[in-house]
Amino acid sequence: MFVFLEFLVFKTEEMEINLGPQHPSTHGVLRVKLRLDGETVVQCTPIIGYLHRGVEKICENKTWFQGQVWTDRMDYVAAVTNNLGWAEGVEKLFGIQVPRRAHYVRTLLAELNRIASHQLWLATHALDIGAMTVFLYCFRDREAILDIFEAFCGARLTTTAFRIGGLREDVPPGMDRMVRNFLKAFSTGIEEYETLLSENRIWKKRTVGVAKLQAKDAVALGITGPVLRAAGVPYDVRKAFPSAAYAEMDFQIATRPEADTYARYLVRLEEMRQSARIVQQCLDGLPEGPVMAKIPKILKSEVCEVYHSIEAPKGELGYYFVGEKGGANPYRMHVRAPSFVNLQALPKMTEGNLLADVIAAIGTLDVVLGEIDR
Amino acid sequence: MASFLRTLIPLDIYGGMKLTGKYFGKVLREANRARIRTHVVCEYPEVPVKLQPRFRGRLTLLKDEQGEIKCICCLACEKICPTQVITIEKGKKEGRKLPYPVRYDFEMERCIFCEFCVESCGFDSIILNHQFELAAYNREDFSIGMEGRFQNMFELSPVARYSVAEEAQR
Repeated sequence: MFVFLEFLVFKTEEMEINLGPQHPSTHGVLRVKLRLDGETVVQCTPIIGYLHRGVEKICENKTWFQGQVWTDRMDYVAAVTNNLGWAEGVEKLFGIQVPRRAHYVRTLLAELNRIASHQLWLATHALDIGAMTVFLYCFRDREAILDIFEAFCGARLTTTAFRIGGLREDVPPGMDRMVRNFLKAFSTGIEEYETLLSENRIWKKRTVGVAKLQAKDAVALGITGPVLRAAGVPYDVRKAFPSAAYAEMDFQIATRPEADTYARYLVRLEEMRQSARIVQQCLDGLPEGPVMAKIPKILKSEVCEVYHSIEAPKGELGYYFVGEKGGANPYRMHVRAPSFVNLQALPKMTEGNLLADVIAAIGTLDVVLGEIDR
Repeated sequence: MASFLRTLIPLDIYGGMKLTGKYFGKVLREANRARIRTHVVCEYPEVPVKLQPRFRGRLTLLKDEQGEIKCICCLACEKICPTQVITIEKGKKEGRKLPYPVRYDFEMERCIFCEFCVESCGFDSIILNHQFELAAYNREDFSIGMEGRFQNMFELSPVARYSVAEEAQR
């Protein structure tokens, strides 16, 4: 009765609010325009472009060698995988054969970067939802990976790790031990994340059944990566179109049928374990030999186009190059950024749900704004 | 029934508290002892950071044993640099057969520390040293030349020269 009277006295109407671009839970400068009915989201519109730097245009004016430094700054938490995509794309365009040892080292570093990226995702996602402890544990373990990157190429985040045709230098002497130490620490570390989260009742209340995205919708929207695999579609570029040394590695694609936030959490955890397995295999089976192929000092392309995609931590990362005759730089470069495509799922995930679940949905998509805006 | 019991008996909370308690006890036992191995963080300004040998810091010009600048102005670094931060002016010097850089300007504010310049140098005349404390008060101080008011291409930056540990001893 009282509720009915309240309805008569106070008029209700839909309200439009902005989430971001300076909101700490949007992982950067993402602005989400929300139309709310009470606490229910009626309409959700992501607005992007606050971090646009014009990477694709800049790369048209840089040589094939120089362009790599801009790929570091796209997905800045997984710079090595971005470097891998660029280097392999250009090698595909020029038909350069890379030595086997270089392939192994590339795979090793890319998988370490996948673990680092997923750890950062888990840390920030858990922090958004309200678990502070996991944040500290993840950053503690991620530090070891960044140290390995520093030992290999001299930088922690903007790595510029690879060169066209292989690697700049062979692995440094102590790196083998560093990676083994990390793997040992990581095997207990991942158990700790699971202890803190997997059975935690608050975590389960906030994630189970939240922000569902069924396989049909995910495929229609072009979603890739863990979000697609958590919907039960076993698509992984590492298996479908193996590049680097992935064809020789033994690993499984992690999938879950539930298609909710909790399933994505489990898929990413399983992916971290599989990545650790791949790192172990790379380390054990590291072949001897050179790390750099013989390539000319200046690369001049013919009229050609190439699309090369790899499995970045966020999904399928594709590079599309168009070369002109005698071109020392790309005529056109385009990036199929996984975060950009995955962000399209946000309205589908949130509309009709509660406002608090929008934060969980943004977190579970694992978007990096540097890659979306480029 | 099983889910009801799980709600009633907080095993999940117990597991989480056990884990945090384990680390809490570890910290209590070891915090004030000098066992650096178990420390996760480093006390940076007081204790200098240990960097890896390949760390990429500020660009530095090298001199050979006679104190001569090794650079011979081949302009390879200027050409390869993705952000065009290096400007070299060729010149001659008395008693030196090879060309001599009259000016070697380095715009540090635009540098992205990619080490392409060092890689392209065929004479090992430049390196990226281990400096990462590169702050300055004025914008002009980031334009580093052969001789500079604030810092130059040969010496450490004033911030890197300053040591908190030394000041604490004083």
